[in-house]
Amino acid sequence: MSGSLLLQTLILGVLLGGLYALLAAGLTLYFGVMRVVMIAHSAFLILAAYLAWFFHRETGLDPLLSLLVTVPLFFGVGYVMQRGLVARLRPATLTMMSVLLTFAIALTIEGLLGFFFSGTQRRINLGYSGSSIEVLGAHVAVVKLIAFGLAAAALAGLFLLLKMTRFGQALRATIQHPEAARLLGIDTDRIAGFGFGLGLATAAVGGTALALDSTIYPSLHWHWIGPLMAIIVVGGLGSIPGAAIAALILGVGQSLLQIPMGTTWAQTVFYVALFATLLVRPQGFFGGRLAQRF
Amino acid sequence: MPSASDTTTGTATTGTGRSTFDRVLLGARVVVLAAVAVLVLAFPSMAADPFILSVGVVIASYAALAVSWNFVGGFTGYISLGHAAYSGLGGYATALLITRADLNPWIALVAGALVVGVLAVPIGIASLRVRGASFVIVSIALVLILLLVAQSWASLTGGAQGLRVPRPFGADVLRPEQHERFFYLHVAFVAVALLLWWAIDRSRFGMGLKAIREDEDKAQALGVPTGAYKLTVFVISAFMTAMAGGLYALWFGYLDPIFQFSILIGSYMVLMSLLGGIRSLFGPVLGAVVVGYSLEFFKVHYGDSQFHLVALGLLLAVVVLFMPDGVLPAIGSLVDRFRPDQRTSIREMTAEELLEHNQRLERSQAAPAAAPHERDLETVPSTEEKR
Repeated sequence: MSGSLLLQTLILGVLLGGLYALLAAGLTLYFGVMRVVMIAHSAFLILAAYLAWFFHRETGLDPLLSLLVTVPLFFGVGYVMQRGLVARLRPATLTMMSVLLTFAIALTIEGLLGFFFSGTQRRINLGYSGSSIEVLGAHVAVVKLIAFGLAAAALAGLFLLLKMTRFGQALRATIQHPEAARLLGIDTDRIAGFGFGLGLATAAVGGTALALDSTIYPSLHWHWIGPLMAIIVVGGLGSIPGAAIAALILGVGQSLLQIPMGTTWAQTVFYVALFATLLVRPQGFFGGRLAQRF
Repeated sequence: MPSASDTTTGTATTGTGRSTFDRVLLGARVVVLAAVAVLVLAFPSMAADPFILSVGVVIASYAALAVSWNFVGGFTGYISLGHAAYSGLGGYATALLITRADLNPWIALVAGALVVGVLAVPIGIASLRVRGASFVIVSIALVLILLLVAQSWASLTGGAQGLRVPRPFGADVLRPEQHERFFYLHVAFVAVALLLWWAIDRSRFGMGLKAIREDEDKAQALGVPTGAYKLTVFVISAFMTAMAGGLYALWFGYLDPIFQFSILIGSYMVLMSLLGGIRSLFGPVLGAVVVGYSLEFFKVHYGDSQFHLVALGLLLAVVVLFMPDGVLPAIGSLVDRFRPDQRTSIREMTAEELLEHNQRLERSQAAPAAAPHERDLETVPSTEEKR
């Protein structure tokens, strides 16, 4: 393997890992605030990608502009979904039943996408789709950089929101100790709804980033859900930094393995990591204080 | 503990302690079961054409999968969305043992299921270490990884080209006859699986598993070997599921990775069992008939669109939100409401009921001594009467 190829692979791995990190952060948020494993996260990702594609096809404008609509829309959908559906499940079986409920939502989204947009593979063609820039002899596609920039901006925004604002403080308090948060006068139900909406808003950003660079079809979300789930288990359920680190490591690992093994086999790195984590450290490698009992 | 037979010897009870209500219920159950059994056995001769017959085989196959799934889901409460891994492996193992090792199809079926059962041991050890959500994630991951392997390892599995499974019956057995035979084979398998489920349900082993379902930590504290129990029932379930998958492969004659290792198949099993009721013996079978029939209906009428996915998703959401215990337990509690000696929760009697019952008991003991005209006064219990 030549040096420039290795470098290119590494860069692509980091870019991919950034996208994974953004999406896994959303999953971790749901788990943190509600103990909900949101199988439908990647379905919403594909939905956002379709909306970006549709927006581009209808208006001819840059698909990134669709974010102005999809981010608030997804936030609202997430809030309504949490308050209207997830919060209605029995607390005793919440974790298990929420998996099935969100699974049902994922199937419904996949079915509706197929119904309205057909199963045909779609792709956005942009003026800058083919262009790439050269970094130390490595060619990196501009769309990948834009996708990574979007992911980085969204993650940074999420970090600032959680650390700097009162809402973020309330959300973190709700994650750490819901009863104590309630004692302090935090309306944890509302905060949980907002947390859910925030997670779904990250799916809007991630889906748009995905649409820039890949071919989309309704059943694509199955392709994503495995790696994302593996990332949050390896990172420790409920830990955002853990998820981000695991996402970067596994993203780079996948890219590196693609050269000798091919794309399909390289995917197995996520599952190998998942099973290895469960055998060695079921609560995950980073953070993961919450994960033990779930 | 006081029971109905202690208090009165009137019309409501008999010497055996079983009320007439219970006997009517039992009779009704036997009649319904017998009627269903006759209907099921007569189905192939009533089916209008081979297509209807093949739908019957598909539904029977779903029932086999759902009952096999329910060994883990029903007893331990661990919801596996990835049991398609075992049915798919069972199908591939059976097919490969026939084509590569030249085994007799029926021996291959059992041997394939045994292989899957052995494979399920390490998988079970890894995945049963975690509970709830993580367990579901692992079960999904298992299907996805097997799909990758089956698609990529083309030299063994035929990859995306699929794998042809030789027919177990000779060429002289025509398609409708083959459907009929496989219908009965599936029904027999379901019957055996139900019998096994029933036997476990009544055993000490089953009691331990149900304790795990209710509260795993407490079960462990009480000395239930939770790890060994979970693993055992997990392997049994994997074996049965693989057998059902192998049976399906022999009938259908063709395996495609996308359909064999599909999360949808796993979710069908969950939906069927949940809909019927995972805690009841016949729940998964009822669910399989309802869901299987509607799936086939949707595929026939809306086959090209993705509408059947929407229908499946909405149905699953409704079941999870509004009847997480399933239809059969709901019917059971409805029947209980009409029971003359109404049962309440685990305690069987509330504190007030117990007090009232004891007072009645004392009164009935005092009654023979009292003159007939004094009885009316005794309806109000007084303190002087108590010893």
